[in-house]
Amino acid sequence: MKYIPNKRGDKVISVYWFAILIIVAGAIFAMVYIFYGTPYDIRETESDLLINQIANCISYGGRINTDIISNGEGIDKTGKEFLEECHLIFNSSEWKDEQYYIKVDFYKPEDLENTLLEIDAGDNRWVTSCALQENKEEERLSKCNEKKFYSLDDVNNQYIIKILAVVRKTEKNVQL
Amino acid sequence: MVFFFIKMNKKGAILLENVVFIVLNIVFISILVLFLFRQGNGAVLLEQSYAKNIALLVDAARPVMELKLNMADAMDLAEKNGLKRDEIIKIEGNSVTVRLSDKSGYTYSFFNDVDVTAYPDIYPEKNYIIKINNYK
Repeated sequence: MKYIPNKRGDKVISVYWFAILIIVAGAIFAMVYIFYGTPYDIRETESDLLINQIANCISYGGRINTDIISNGEGIDKTGKEFLEECHLIFNSSEWKDEQYYIKVDFYKPEDLENTLLEIDAGDNRWVTSCALQENKEEERLSKCNEKKFYSLDDVNNQYIIKILAVVRKTEKNVQL
Repeated sequence: MVFFFIKMNKKGAILLENVVFIVLNIVFISILVLFLFRQGNGAVLLEQSYAKNIALLVDAARPVMELKLNMADAMDLAEKNGLKRDEIIKIEGNSVTVRLSDKSGYTYSFFNDVDVTAYPDIYPEKNYIIKINNYK
């Protein structure tokens, strides 16, 4: 039997060429699918806005709201009352459980160990995520954000106010 | 004479291979570009992007504010999918839903307890107005 060599050279459309084409196309499709399939994570911005709204509600023009601290005395409020006072709503038809948690602590500058007044609202289950993310941020856990500011009450007492905001909404912001 | 025929045949074969190679490459690149374009301008992606944008705008807003949002790309897509302009954004309770086709829709909630209304602008036509009326 006589062997006839293929002299057509490299440009022959071979199985290898199709294999490379399929691999390249597959890789591009996969990259695009992953890129566009990942939802936009807006929880960081959401928690910033939540803290801003709370800060505006607690203190306006450098003075603490007299419904919260008056004559150096903190006025105890339930989470529900605080949310109503600050025009916030954590329930939604979109979610079975509340997807937010907030905690506001008032300190005297001379005693940062003991809080003068504590207010919290929302679902406190999400706050456990904050301790887990102290060293490294985990996308699938709730987003925690904490900010502090300084303000005066109606009789010029000074306070440091610490606001913690936790936003869950994992299913809508992270690819699971 | 025989030698000449063989030579012509080889040239023809090489040309055909090149043509097929180029045509397949063009088809391949066209499919990829079309896929990328469709993915980037798809209803699902735009719905999510606008719903989240509007939720953040409402969260940052205060009563009596009027926000104008340019939604030209979303409106064009909605019109192409047979949806009316006033059907694109629906705000119920504290959730905003953006729909750009009959089959899809994306909902995202906001925490600001305000009464919000959303309607398409008369001019320019591609804008949407989000009006923060008052606290509930």
